[in-house]
Amino acid sequence: MRLLWIFTLLLLSLPTASSAQGDPDRGKEIAYTCTGCHGIAFYKNVYPTYTVPKLGGQNYQYIVDSLKAYRSGERRHPTMQAQANTLSDQDMADIAAWFVQLTEEES
Amino acid sequence: MIRLQLFVVVLMGMLVADAALAQGDYRRGLEKSQVCQSCHGRTGAESLMDSYPILAGQHEDYLIHALKSYRDGGRNNAVMQGFANDLSDQDIADLAAWYARQERLQDLKID
Repeated sequence: MRLLWIFTLLLLSLPTASSAQGDPDRGKEIAYTCTGCHGIAFYKNVYPTYTVPKLGGQNYQYIVDSLKAYRSGERRHPTMQAQANTLSDQDMADIAAWFVQLTEEES
Repeated sequence: MIRLQLFVVVLMGMLVADAALAQGDYRRGLEKSQVCQSCHGRTGAESLMDSYPILAGQHEDYLIHALKSYRDGGRNNAVMQGFANDLSDQDIADLAAWYARQERLQDLKID
Protein backbone atom coordinates (compact mmCIF):
# COMPACT_ATOMS: atom_id res chain seq x y z
CA MET A 1 0.00 0.00 0.00
CA ARG A 2 2.78 2.37 0.92
CA LEU A 3 4.59 1.49 -2.28
CA LEU A 4 1.47 2.35 -4.23
CA TRP A 5 1.42 5.80 -2.64
CA ILE A 6 5.03 6.43 -3.50
CA PHE A 7 4.41 5.29 -7.05
CA THR A 8 1.38 7.57 -7.36
CA LEU A 9 3.31 10.57 -6.06
CA LEU A 10 6.12 9.88 -8.47
CA LEU A 11 3.68 9.65 -11.34
CA LEU A 12 2.06 12.95 -10.33
CA SER A 13 5.39 14.72 -10.21
CA LEU A 14 6.34 13.60 -13.73
CA PRO A 15 4.19 15.92 -15.87
CA THR A 16 5.30 19.06 -14.02
CA ALA A 17 8.93 18.11 -14.46
CA SER A 18 8.59 17.49 -18.18
CA SER A 19 6.49 20.59 -18.88
CA ALA A 20 8.95 22.91 -17.12
CA GLN A 21 9.77 25.78 -19.43
CA GLY A 22 13.21 27.10 -20.29
CA ASP A 23 15.26 29.79 -18.58
CA PRO A 24 14.24 33.23 -19.93
CA ASP A 25 17.41 34.95 -18.73
CA ARG A 26 19.62 32.57 -20.66
CA GLY A 27 17.15 32.78 -23.56
CA LYS A 28 17.51 36.55 -23.68
CA GLU A 29 21.27 36.18 -24.19
CA ILE A 30 20.99 33.54 -26.92
CA ALA A 31 18.20 35.45 -28.66
CA TYR A 32 20.36 38.47 -29.31
CA THR A 33 20.75 37.24 -32.90
CA CYS A 34 16.98 36.94 -33.32
CA THR A 35 16.50 40.64 -32.60
CA GLY A 36 18.57 41.46 -35.71
CA CYS A 37 15.40 40.72 -37.73
CA HIS A 38 12.54 40.19 -35.25
CA GLY A 39 13.46 43.25 -33.20
CA ILE A 40 13.23 45.76 -36.05
CA ALA A 41 9.70 47.01 -36.59
CA PHE A 42 8.36 46.30 -40.11
CA TYR A 43 11.63 44.72 -41.24
CA LYS A 44 11.09 42.69 -44.41
CA ASN A 45 12.47 39.44 -45.77
CA VAL A 46 14.13 39.86 -49.13
CA TYR A 47 12.54 36.74 -50.55
CA PRO A 48 9.80 35.72 -50.17
CA THR A 49 8.91 39.31 -49.35
CA TYR A 50 6.81 39.76 -46.24
CA THR A 51 7.26 41.46 -42.90
CA VAL A 52 9.24 39.38 -40.41
CA PRO A 53 6.71 38.06 -37.84
CA LYS A 54 6.36 39.49 -34.36
CA LEU A 55 7.38 37.01 -31.68
CA GLY A 56 7.04 38.94 -28.41
CA GLY A 57 4.21 37.37 -26.42
CA GLN A 58 3.89 34.35 -28.71
CA ASN A 59 3.02 30.99 -27.14
CA TYR A 60 5.87 28.92 -25.70
CA GLN A 61 5.10 25.57 -27.32
CA TYR A 62 4.43 27.14 -30.72
CA ILE A 63 7.92 28.73 -30.71
CA VAL A 64 9.62 25.49 -29.67
CA ASP A 65 7.70 23.49 -32.29
CA SER A 66 8.50 26.03 -35.02
CA LEU A 67 12.23 26.10 -34.24
CA LYS A 68 12.35 22.30 -34.24
CA ALA A 69 10.50 22.19 -37.56
CA TYR A 70 13.04 24.59 -39.08
CA ARG A 71 15.91 22.50 -37.68
CA SER A 72 14.50 19.25 -39.09
CA GLY A 73 13.83 20.90 -42.45
CA GLU A 74 10.08 20.28 -42.20
CA ARG A 75 9.45 24.01 -42.26
CA ARG A 76 11.44 25.90 -44.87
CA HIS A 77 13.07 29.27 -44.72
CA PRO A 78 16.80 29.59 -45.53
CA THR A 79 17.68 32.06 -42.76
CA MET A 80 15.56 30.37 -40.10
CA GLN A 81 16.83 26.90 -41.02
CA ALA A 82 20.43 28.14 -40.71
CA GLN A 83 19.70 29.70 -37.32
CA ALA A 84 17.79 26.73 -35.93
CA ASN A 85 20.59 24.38 -36.96
CA THR A 86 22.86 26.02 -34.38
CA LEU A 87 20.37 25.57 -31.51
CA SER A 88 20.02 22.72 -28.99
CA ASP A 89 16.68 21.70 -27.48
CA GLN A 90 17.66 23.58 -24.32
CA ASP A 91 18.51 26.72 -26.35
CA MET A 92 15.08 26.58 -28.01
CA ALA A 93 13.31 26.16 -24.66
CA ASP A 94 15.21 29.11 -23.19
CA ILE A 95 14.57 31.37 -26.19
CA ALA A 96 10.86 30.54 -26.16
CA ALA A 97 10.69 31.25 -22.42
CA TRP A 98 12.04 34.74 -23.05
CA PHE A 99 9.66 35.45 -25.96
CA VAL A 100 6.66 34.51 -23.78
CA GLN A 101 7.77 36.91 -21.06
CA LEU A 102 7.83 39.89 -23.38
CA THR A 103 4.17 40.81 -23.05
CA GLU A 104 3.60 39.39 -19.62
CA GLU A 105 5.80 42.13 -18.21
CA GLU A 106 4.06 44.85 -20.14
CA SER A 107 0.41 43.92 -19.75
CA MET B 1 0.46 68.33 -72.49
CA ILE B 2 -2.85 66.49 -72.67
CA ARG B 3 -0.96 63.25 -73.16
CA LEU B 4 0.99 63.92 -69.98
CA GLN B 5 -2.22 64.59 -68.02
CA LEU B 6 -3.72 61.42 -69.39
CA PHE B 7 -0.62 59.51 -68.37
CA VAL B 8 -0.82 60.84 -64.80
CA VAL B 9 -4.52 59.98 -64.52
CA VAL B 10 -3.95 56.44 -65.76
CA LEU B 11 -1.00 56.00 -63.41
CA MET B 12 -3.05 57.16 -60.42
CA GLY B 13 -5.85 54.84 -61.43
CA MET B 14 -3.44 51.92 -61.48
CA LEU B 15 -2.14 52.80 -58.02
CA VAL B 16 -5.66 52.98 -56.57
CA ALA B 17 -6.63 49.68 -58.19
CA ASP B 18 -3.51 48.03 -56.81
CA ALA B 19 -4.22 49.27 -53.30
CA ALA B 20 -7.83 48.06 -53.51
CA LEU B 21 -6.76 44.59 -54.58
CA ALA B 22 -4.29 44.25 -51.75
CA GLN B 23 -6.71 45.43 -49.07
CA GLY B 24 -8.50 42.90 -46.91
CA ASP B 25 -11.81 43.81 -45.27
CA TYR B 26 -11.42 43.20 -41.53
CA ARG B 27 -15.20 43.13 -40.93
CA ARG B 28 -15.60 40.36 -43.46
CA GLY B 29 -12.56 38.76 -41.85
CA LEU B 30 -14.34 38.63 -38.49
CA GLU B 31 -17.38 37.04 -40.15
CA LYS B 32 -15.24 34.41 -41.84
CA SER B 33 -13.21 33.70 -38.71
CA GLN B 34 -15.88 31.61 -36.94
CA VAL B 35 -13.99 28.39 -37.60
CA CYS B 36 -10.64 29.92 -36.59
CA GLN B 37 -12.11 31.17 -33.32
CA SER B 38 -12.61 27.70 -31.88
CA CYS B 39 -8.84 27.24 -31.64
CA HIS B 40 -7.35 30.77 -31.80
CA GLY B 41 -10.02 32.74 -29.92
CA ARG B 42 -12.11 35.67 -31.17
CA THR B 43 -9.24 38.13 -31.45
CA GLY B 44 -6.58 35.48 -32.01
CA ALA B 45 -5.11 36.11 -28.57
CA GLU B 46 -6.68 33.17 -26.74
CA SER B 47 -5.22 29.91 -28.03
CA LEU B 48 -6.94 26.68 -27.06
CA MET B 49 -3.54 24.99 -26.80
CA ASP B 50 -0.06 26.39 -26.24
CA SER B 51 1.09 24.85 -29.50
CA TYR B 52 -1.40 27.01 -31.47
CA PRO B 53 0.05 30.42 -32.29
CA ILE B 54 -1.32 33.74 -31.13
CA LEU B 55 -2.47 35.72 -34.18
CA ALA B 56 -3.55 38.99 -32.57
CA GLY B 57 -1.41 41.87 -33.78
CA GLN B 58 0.66 39.76 -36.19
CA HIS B 59 1.73 41.49 -39.42
CA GLU B 60 -0.96 41.33 -42.09
CA ASP B 61 1.36 40.26 -44.91
CA TYR B 62 2.94 37.54 -42.76
CA LEU B 63 -0.50 36.11 -41.92
CA ILE B 64 -1.32 36.10 -45.65
CA HIS B 65 1.98 34.35 -46.38
CA ALA B 66 1.35 31.73 -43.66
CA LEU B 67 -2.22 30.92 -44.78
CA LYS B 68 -1.19 30.67 -48.43
CA SER B 69 1.71 28.41 -47.45
CA TYR B 70 -0.70 26.08 -45.64
CA ARG B 71 -3.07 26.14 -48.60
CA ASP B 72 -0.41 25.63 -51.26
CA GLY B 73 1.48 22.98 -49.29
CA GLY B 74 4.65 24.92 -48.46
CA ARG B 75 3.90 24.56 -44.78
CA ASN B 76 2.74 21.24 -43.42
CA ASN B 77 0.08 20.99 -40.76
CA ALA B 78 -2.81 18.63 -41.29
CA VAL B 79 -5.33 20.77 -39.39
CA MET B 80 -4.37 24.09 -40.94
CA GLN B 81 -4.10 22.64 -44.43
CA GLY B 82 -7.65 21.36 -44.11
CA PHE B 83 -8.99 24.80 -43.26
CA ALA B 84 -6.79 26.80 -45.64
CA ASN B 85 -7.78 24.62 -48.62
CA ASP B 86 -11.24 26.19 -48.58
CA LEU B 87 -10.01 29.78 -48.58
CA SER B 88 -9.78 32.13 -51.57
CA ASP B 89 -7.12 34.84 -51.80
CA GLN B 90 -9.80 37.36 -50.77
CA ASP B 91 -10.81 35.25 -47.73
CA ILE B 92 -7.16 35.10 -46.68
CA ALA B 93 -6.71 38.86 -47.09
CA ASP B 94 -9.87 39.51 -45.04
CA LEU B 95 -8.84 37.16 -42.21
CA ALA B 96 -5.35 38.63 -42.10
CA ALA B 97 -6.82 42.14 -41.93
CA TRP B 98 -8.94 41.15 -38.91
CA TYR B 99 -6.17 39.53 -36.87
CA ALA B 100 -3.57 42.18 -37.73
CA ARG B 101 -5.89 44.82 -36.25
CA GLN B 102 -6.05 43.12 -32.83
CA GLU B 103 -3.55 43.76 -30.06
CA ARG B 104 -1.13 41.37 -28.44
CA LEU B 105 2.07 40.41 -30.29
CA GLN B 106 5.11 42.68 -30.17
CA ASP B 107 8.52 42.98 -31.78
CA LEU B 108 11.40 41.65 -29.69
CA LYS B 109 13.11 44.23 -27.51
CA ILE B 110 16.54 44.04 -25.95
CA ASP B 111 17.19 46.77 -23.43
